[in-house]
Amino acid sequence: MRYHLKLIGLFIRASAQQELAYRANFLISLLHSLLNFGTGLLGLLVLFEQVEAIRGWDFASTLAVLGVYLTVGAVRDLFIGPSLDALTGINGDIWAGRLDFTLMRPVDIQFWSSFRQWRLLAVFDLALGAGVLAKAIFELGAAVTASHLITFLILLGSGMITFYAVQLAFTGLMFWNPGMLFSWVFNGIFQMARYPVRLYPGGLRLALTWIVPVGVITTLPAQALTGDVPALTLVGSLFLAAALFTGASLLFRTGLRRYASASS
Amino acid sequence: MNHRGGWALVRSTWLSWMQHRSFFFVLAFGWMIPPLVYLLVWSTAAGSQAINGFTRGEFVAYYLVLILVNQLTYAQTNWTVGDVIREGKISQMLLYPMSPLYNTLSSEFAGKVVYMTFAVPVTAVLAVLLHPELHTTPGHVLAFIPALIFAWALRFFWGYWLALLAFWATRADALLAVQDTLVFLLAGQVAPTLLLPGALRGLANVLPFRYMVGFPVEVLTGQLNGSALWVGFAAQVGWLMIAVLLYKWMWRTGLRRYSAIGG
Repeated sequence: MRYHLKLIGLFIRASAQQELAYRANFLISLLHSLLNFGTGLLGLLVLFEQVEAIRGWDFASTLAVLGVYLTVGAVRDLFIGPSLDALTGINGDIWAGRLDFTLMRPVDIQFWSSFRQWRLLAVFDLALGAGVLAKAIFELGAAVTASHLITFLILLGSGMITFYAVQLAFTGLMFWNPGMLFSWVFNGIFQMARYPVRLYPGGLRLALTWIVPVGVITTLPAQALTGDVPALTLVGSLFLAAALFTGASLLFRTGLRRYASASS
Repeated sequence: MNHRGGWALVRSTWLSWMQHRSFFFVLAFGWMIPPLVYLLVWSTAAGSQAINGFTRGEFVAYYLVLILVNQLTYAQTNWTVGDVIREGKISQMLLYPMSPLYNTLSSEFAGKVVYMTFAVPVTAVLAVLLHPELHTTPGHVLAFIPALIFAWALRFFWGYWLALLAFWATRADALLAVQDTLVFLLAGQVAPTLLLPGALRGLANVLPFRYMVGFPVEVLTGQLNGSALWVGFAAQVGWLMIAVLLYKWMWRTGLRRYSAIGG
């Protein structure tokens, strides 16, 4: 454990040095974060200026979904996304065959692939996401009780693990078909998590809940803030997170055995 | 100007891109999602009653046209221009007996064809599923064609001059990301410009972003008539001229600074 923490520290330092090399880009990235947050917020404001509530979701509860979306998105951008992308993105390690060198390192390959690249600017996004969440909780006011908050935190945690597992699984698929950017497909679908799944038409709603569990990641935690989530759903989501995590790790490791390097 | 050489380059790029279809389909899929999210959200919101004159079917029509216009005008090559400068590969292009603009244009045309082979069928299926209501007249269709061409040119040259900042800052991709977000907010993707609150609508009308995507969509779906149409065209052409001038100036001064980093 201590060894792994030390490694993470080193990864963070190396990533910070890379990013700081392009200072102008760094500052503009900050502006981009702000704009991204502003767009999400303005989208909601424009929508709820025209309607009071859509299918039972009013401004405050939809804002909570946006807060969860921004927060888990920021965690992804902080290390999961950049790390997995360095493995499977365009000109990534699998594509270019650089994974050969990684395989020789004395470290668990799933750990290395999930933590090695950090985008520290995402800390700023994380703060903005937490801010939106705080504002949503404030808007919801007395409806939020202590037990709601605890359920919310548990569901947020299990949602985060589910989110990581799905991304790892999509990344693992790259070993079977290296030309296809599966993780980009998932990133596209995940953008739908910006809004509660109830706002989408029936078939799509079911797909977003059960096939690609985007709804579990953002809608469910936000739901916990406003109403009681049945105990069965709570246990079910924890079970789902554990099952997906195990399944994705297995898929990734099986895929890794298929890796046959790449010649240039 | 060596137009024949340019055309050969366009053809070769297109043929090589068609081989990597799946990659570009994934890109096109990613660009389609944000407007699709707003299509679904707005059409759900307008399910029972019209919002500000927009019925459910009109929202669907507006966003389906927007998905196509967005893909047709998206200037993705501008991302690669920055990379080419940063990695020093532009040195090679400068040696060709034609303007490097052709390299960019060739990937631009190649890309558009590949994206459309994905976007058109998907939009058609969505149209069958979601029942759009399109109120358009032959006049609107006629006005849509120049609006679309100007929108493409404006987005292309606007992105190009931003990418040329790479001559000075070595890395301009964050700025292009900012530009994409502004397009998202002000070009009619979050909501049709007519539905934006007062101050934001004013900003959208003055800044160039609406004229890159939202304007042609509004023209085709018949939201603009008479003077609003002419004012829109005037703003579009005005911004296009500014963008082309900026591109020319940046190219001249940037090239003098260029010193082939990497290589």
